[in-house]
Amino acid sequence: MATDDLATQLAPRAGANILAVEPFQGLTARVRFRPEGALDVFRAVHDDLGYDHLSMVGAIDWVDHREVFYIVWSDVTKQYLGLSADLTGDAPHIESATPVWPSANWHEREAWELVGVAFDHHPDMRHLLMPDDYAFHPLLRSFKLHEPEELEVKSRSV
Amino acid sequence: MSSPAPAVASPVPPKSAAPLLETEIPLVNGPAVPYVEIETLRAREFIPQAKEALSSLLREQMEGKLLRPVFNWAGRNSLFPLHWGLACCAIEFAAAFGARWDAERFGVVPRSSPRQCDLLIVNGTVTWKVAHKLITLYEQMPEPKWVIAMGNCATGGGPFRTAYSVVPGVDKLVPVDIYIAGCPPRPEALLDGILQLEELIRRRGE
Repeated sequence: MATDDLATQLAPRAGANILAVEPFQGLTARVRFRPEGALDVFRAVHDDLGYDHLSMVGAIDWVDHREVFYIVWSDVTKQYLGLSADLTGDAPHIESATPVWPSANWHEREAWELVGVAFDHHPDMRHLLMPDDYAFHPLLRSFKLHEPEELEVKSRSV
Repeated sequence: MSSPAPAVASPVPPKSAAPLLETEIPLVNGPAVPYVEIETLRAREFIPQAKEALSSLLREQMEGKLLRPVFNWAGRNSLFPLHWGLACCAIEFAAAFGARWDAERFGVVPRSSPRQCDLLIVNGTVTWKVAHKLITLYEQMPEPKWVIAMGNCATGGGPFRTAYSVVPGVDKLVPVDIYIAGCPPRPEALLDGILQLEELIRRRGE
């Protein structure tokens, strides 16, 4: 099975941080891992499995926790792999993937400003889509739609 | 070697002993002087004052009645909009300058530098991220300048009015002269808006 092979290959370097390797629609598999050992998992996936391109980083606000997911692409096997980690707590944070895949830079900036997930040791954490003094994480489910005038006062940067 | 001091011509003519008026303008009991000469002397006093009064009057009148219509006529027949596309309205904006609608027959020529423009056509959704760039472009345009809010997004935010990132109407940023409804408005609507702006400019200052 592909998932078993993946788990075996990941075991030497990141075995302790792997929670599950499960089939997922559209991907080779989805690897669920602990956010504490994120960098080990990234390095194992990049070096040992050969997934050399990070296609996207995203974050989801489930109401009780937030999930960060990564979709990586192997130019050798021409396959996608999903990585996902559940973040709990009031200030969810995870290690940045930029040391392994530099293309994570802008994706993590976007995930931070829209969903409010902090990426530790990110080289350039600024707003990407919003004005620099924007005070909200607007894709959180707790974010209520403002009246235009109210939002204007709060977010106006000009 | 001593040179003689140059003779300096005195700008002030030496005063005559008697005052000017008493000698030049004849009094009742004085000697007879031709009437034309009296009028000439009086005019010499009157002309500078009249010139001063007339020029200030002409300046006001000319600005209001003569020069302003000339400038309005020139300005409204050579509107240069800024070539700045924001969203799908920019496609209609571009079509208005194509062969079929040909806005150039009204003297409307899009320019790429705000320094050369007097018309800002906001064609598309303005987000808060781009808001200060729009204001910078508007401030870089020379006076007199006008703004057309093209389409529902620029007019009032459009379908994104309650979105977290969209300016609900570009008139919160710059003064708008003409609003064009539509999503997007057709090129005919843009041309109609430009013609109405020309009518607005024609009445300016009256």
